[in-house]
Order: sequence, then C-alpha cells, then structure tokens
Amino acid sequence: MNIFVNDQLIIVPALCNIEQLLQQLESPLKGSAVAVNQQIISRSTWTEVTLNEGDQISLFQAIAGG
Amino acid sequence: MLYNKMLSSDQLVIADKTFTSRLFTGTGKFNDQTTMVAALKASQSELVTMALKRVNMQHKDDDILAPLIKQGMNLLPNTSGARNAKEAVFAAQLAREALQTNWVKLEIHPDPKYLLPDPIETLKAAEALANDGFVVLPYVHADPVLCKHLEAAGCAAVMPLGAPIGSNKGLKTIDFLEIIIEQANIPVIVDAGIGSPSHAALAMEMGADAVLVNTAMAVAGDPVAMSEAFAKAVQAGRQAYLSGLAGQANHAVASSPLTAFLQSE
Repeated sequence: MNIFVNDQLIIVPALCNIEQLLQQLESPLKGSAVAVNQQIISRSTWTEVTLNEGDQISLFQAIAGG
Repeated sequence: MLYNKMLSSDQLVIADKTFTSRLFTGTGKFNDQTTMVAALKASQSELVTMALKRVNMQHKDDDILAPLIKQGMNLLPNTSGARNAKEAVFAAQLAREALQTNWVKLEIHPDPKYLLPDPIETLKAAEALANDGFVVLPYVHADPVLCKHLEAAGCAAVMPLGAPIGSNKGLKTIDFLEIIIEQANIPVIVDAGIGSPSHAALAMEMGADAVLVNTAMAVAGDPVAMSEAFAKAVQAGRQAYLSGLAGQANHAVASSPLTAFLQSE
C-alpha cells in the first residue's frame, strides 16, 4: 500500500497502524506527533488508527529550540 | 546559606508546577548534545523550551528528548515557525501529542529578520489555546496593555521581550517591563535579548518572576561555565529583590560620619 510521509512515497503493509509506521520509519515514538490528512492523531489511538491507500501523513519531531 | 533560607519560602508557581529555579532555558544553538545537557544541568533550570519540526525524511534530527527527560526537566514546547494564530494552534496541538504536555510557549513571529511577535495573532491564539485547556505562556513585546489582555484571556504567565531574540542586547524595553511587572497578577518571565548574567540579574532585581535564556549560554565561549554564571546572577537578583533594594538619591548621602574627624565640632 502506498502512502506519503512528509511528501515522500512510502510502502507499508495493508492495515498498518500509526505505531507500526513509526517503527518501520525508525522514528522515535517519544517526541513525535502525527497528522493524517491534516488531522492530528492522538497518541492514545496510534495502535488503533490504520492507514489507507494514498494517505498523506505529516510527521513532526521535537528538536532543539529556544 | 542565607539565600537557601530565603529560597525555601520563595517558590515560583505557574499553573500546576512549582519551580525552585527562576532561570528557564532554551535548547537551541548548542554545538552538541553533551554540551547542551551539561550546560542545562549547570544552569539548574527546571523548565526547558523545545521546538517542533516537520521531519526531513532524508536527514533526520537527533533525538534530543531522551537526555532531557533523563535529567528530569519539564518541557516547554514552543510554536516557533507559526506565522499566524491558526498555525500556532496547530503547532501547540502537535506539541501536546509529541511531548505529552499541555504547556506551550506561544510564539508567532512572521518576520524572520527581527522575529518580533505578532500581538494580534498571539492574543487570538492565546484565547483559543487557553479555552482548549493549554497552559499558555505567550512570547510578546513588552506591551503592558497587551499583557493585561493576555492575562484576561487566561494565560498562565507572560513572556515579554527585553530585545530581539538572539540579539544579546539586554533589557532595551526596561521601562515597559517595569510597568508589566507592576500590573501583572500572573508571573512575568523576561524572555529574549538577555545577553549576559548582569542583564538577568537586573530583570530579577526589578521583580521579574523568572527569565528565559538561550543564546547567551549556548554560544558563549564556555557554555557550561556561562550557564552556572547565569544561575548565580538569577539567584543574586532574586535575593536582592526580596531583600528590598535601597532607594536612589540625586545627591550624596554619606556612608561614613563626616564630623569629629580632623577637628572637633
């Protein structure tokens, strides 16, 4: 299944959920935030929300800043 | 010793958190993570700011969160990069998910040259975020009227600037900071422009509840030693404020007796 993470094409298995996506991307779970098609997905539902073909995922991460 | 005694009954409370240290710090601009952690430790800071960024899939940033959590730091995500209220609210909601905190340093500065905060968009976003249960600490110009509006909007503190971010110019807005401190019923944290420990001490002597320092520590010759200097300055400034500064006069007031020295009266 094809999805886009920050505009980059990524292939994930069918029924992939948010947590599995982050694991596949080797992104830290802590300090990350995810929006699917502009909708922020609460961390508490990351294992429940499954992705669909063509979804646009925005992935954010905490970085250094003042 | 005396300071520690004074300190025991002098804690800073913002929303649900109590702070012993009145020095808040940023995590930006440090050369490397080891220096950053050592400097933050030396500063004794209990609240550190962070930013949020869209991940670059080709070049991922370091995970800076783990060492900060290990140090027991409270995290204050900012909305840096937001150009208007809508973007700031979105950034705050993302930060809440990323860092699992409802605290947010609200900053909206559309102009990249001076990074001056947009007062209209900031007030709009502050109202929306406070209504959504956020603990909002807005970064603003040293505008006493705006600060009262932000207080009424439900902000937990205000963060007026001393000078533009990263400029290290000190308290250029000092007269207006004084008015803000005098009028505020919520904590006042002087943010931005503090370039040396003496600037931080001055803000504290004036009665600021805390200061936020980043650049002046991060890009100092020795960031760790400088952070310790800032910690001392903030403590000295606070102690001076609590001790009640002696008043100023336009004429000399002798500190030594002027009579009965060389000749009898």
